[in-house]
Amino acid sequence: MKEELLVVGGGIVGLSCAYEAAKRGGRKVTIVDRGDFGGQASGAAAGMLAPYTENSEQPDPFFRLCLDSLRLYPEWAEEIERLSGISVELTHTGSIQVALHEADMLPLRTRQRWQNEWGARAEWLDAADLRRLEPGLSSAAAGGLYCPEESHVYAPKLVKALEAACRRLGVRCAGNAGDTVDLMLDGGRVRLVTGTGGRFEADRVIVCAGAWTGAFERWFGFAVPVNPIRGQICAYHSPIGEVRRMVFTSQAYWVGKRNGTLVCGASEDIAGFDTSVTERGIARLTRWSGRVFPALADRSPVHRWAGLRPATLDGWPLLGPVPGAPQAVVAAGHYRNGILLAPVTAKRICDVLDGKLPAAELAPFAPDRFAASARTLG
Amino acid sequence: MKRYDSQLEIGGTKLRSRLFLGTGRFPNPAVLQQSLEASGAEVITFAVRRVNLDSVEDDSVLQHVEDRSLVYLPNTSGAGNADEAVRIAKLARAAGLGNWIKVEISRDERTLLPDPLETLRATERLVREGFVALPYTSDDPMLCRRLEEAGAAAVMPGGAPIGTGLGILNPYNLGLIAEQSGVPVIVDAGLGSAQDVVQAMELGADGILVNTPVAKAQDPVAMAKAMRLAVEAGRLSAMAGRIPRKPYASASSSTEGALFGGPYAAGSAIEGRRAETSAEGLRR
Ligand SMILES: Cc1cc2nc3c(=O)[nH]c(=O)nc-3n(C[C@H](O)[C@H](O)[C@H](O)COP(=O)(O)OP(=O)(O)OC[C@H]3O[C@@H](n4cnc5c(N)ncnc54)[C@H](O)[C@@H]3O)c2cc1C
Repeated sequence: MKEELLVVGGGIVGLSCAYEAAKRGGRKVTIVDRGDFGGQASGAAAGMLAPYTENSEQPDPFFRLCLDSLRLYPEWAEEIERLSGISVELTHTGSIQVALHEADMLPLRTRQRWQNEWGARAEWLDAADLRRLEPGLSSAAAGGLYCPEESHVYAPKLVKALEAACRRLGVRCAGNAGDTVDLMLDGGRVRLVTGTGGRFEADRVIVCAGAWTGAFERWFGFAVPVNPIRGQICAYHSPIGEVRRMVFTSQAYWVGKRNGTLVCGASEDIAGFDTSVTERGIARLTRWSGRVFPALADRSPVHRWAGLRPATLDGWPLLGPVPGAPQAVVAAGHYRNGILLAPVTAKRICDVLDGKLPAAELAPFAPDRFAASARTLG
Repeated sequence: MKRYDSQLEIGGTKLRSRLFLGTGRFPNPAVLQQSLEASGAEVITFAVRRVNLDSVEDDSVLQHVEDRSLVYLPNTSGAGNADEAVRIAKLARAAGLGNWIKVEISRDERTLLPDPLETLRATERLVREGFVALPYTSDDPMLCRRLEEAGAAAVMPGGAPIGTGLGILNPYNLGLIAEQSGVPVIVDAGLGSAQDVVQAMELGADGILVNTPVAKAQDPVAMAKAMRLAVEAGRLSAMAGRIPRKPYASASSSTEGALFGGPYAAGSAIEGRRAETSAEGLRR
């Protein structure tokens, strides 16, 4: 009999895990979401694949995870496109972290120094180079770091393509299944009960519930501190090529999409599970946009939306089996980098399921790593 | 003699907490807020270059702390010389961030060690311009004295290079600085965990500034609380006066006059006395 695998949560992380498991074969895979597939944060993301810009400090295990994922992306995306027939718009633009003050340069040079040892091939840009590469930038920009490897995808299409690819591979997709009211992990099996009376049984489960993963702590039996951090984000109409590369500053970033929009994000708000957009949150972005790209000063964004990033205490995801219930595996807490980390997460998690990757390899990301200090703090 | 419950005062401001917290490098604003709460810190520091100076209330970090009563200590990190540092300080003051400034000047991208000459120059100028200047400096006693003479409101010697977590590499120097200093000594940079904080306080520091060891800890909120307790423990310990170091054991409970002397009681008492004696001998 084939092993039955249940994936809880149909955002990018859940879909990628279901897809990878189905592709490897030998399992009957079911994915459930309490709502529609495509996820909450996942559909909201800017789709940037930016391991270097997102990790300015040191080559720690998280940076290496991000980098591994970037390198997996081209082949992974192509396969999903082939199976689904949907383009995910993987675009290799490179990125520029702009220095607005002379004082921004020293930390960027520190970053360039160690990241080039990891293959970033980052180049320093002076003010004239900047103007050449990105003519729309304000003349206040003093210099910047160009990182040619960084890329982006169109996240809403990527989740659609993943869902289609899952269906192609025979994954059972149970949408609108209602919220989890019970998860039984005794006796080596998995039984999930939902508020709308849904019942799912399987041999193993992967919990990919994004910002809602903290709700599972009562079934795991240890603290799973995941905070929802709201990201408000907006998009301008913008002729393709107006902003050619991904551009980062300390307060916001911009990324031009193939549908003729320029996405500008994003806030980091503490607002519980509220996904609404606020006047203040967007105004922050538009004021700053006008300052960095003067041409945006008298334009208004045409779309505004928000997503809830799943944030852990150290900013690193929770990846690996639940101690005491090894038939349950967690893949959540990807915070700002869930789109980037999707392929590596799916592969590592399926390696764990296949017994190919000792859980110790994922120790820095152990799902119960906050249990002890949480108990002490009470 | 300092009393352990006396308040730290810098630039005329009395502070409730001797722990200063840097706001950089936190994984997300929720963890920053919870860590700030757990640390009890009243002074926070942040890099001016990262702040949205056009509208501070819009800033991606400061917006999360705006409804707390905090003392802002903006820093000039990224500055490579005194001119840049002074420019950055003025930008911060003009943006409404107050008149405290942590002078931080480095030109070595690998160690980020402070440049002593430029730091002294910038401190002199900033004091003349009416700033409450707190220079981040190497742990050199003479340099700290010169900074004090230049009008620094406190001196902030580093334990080790920023972010290294190596702890206090030169406790002797730090002890000298604490002993001689007429202004508060805030140990800044390079600390790794609570034990380094305790050590700094025992060496006589008046306060501690931490950022990386909290922000990059596995559980920053728990570490923030540990740091708060360590500042208190170290200070109390320094005030309480430690026992002298001895080369050999001395029994912690004297068996002389014990209610129930055991069969070996007499012998061990003699051993104990011998140990005291030889320790005395060593000390002389
Ligand atoms: C504004 C913004 C911009 C971003 N930009 C980028 C970017 O450029 N690059 C990048 O890599 N990352 C980016 N991110 C981060 C990225 O979006 C997230 O890390 C990622 O989407 C997380 O995916 P997820 O599947 O874990 O969560 P989600 O997409 O939120 O999906 C979780 C799913 O689980 C379901 N669920 C929850 N509980 C249950 C339950 N009990 N039972 C069944 N289903 C359940 C939910 O309904 C939801 O569909 C951005 C995020 C935001 C908000």
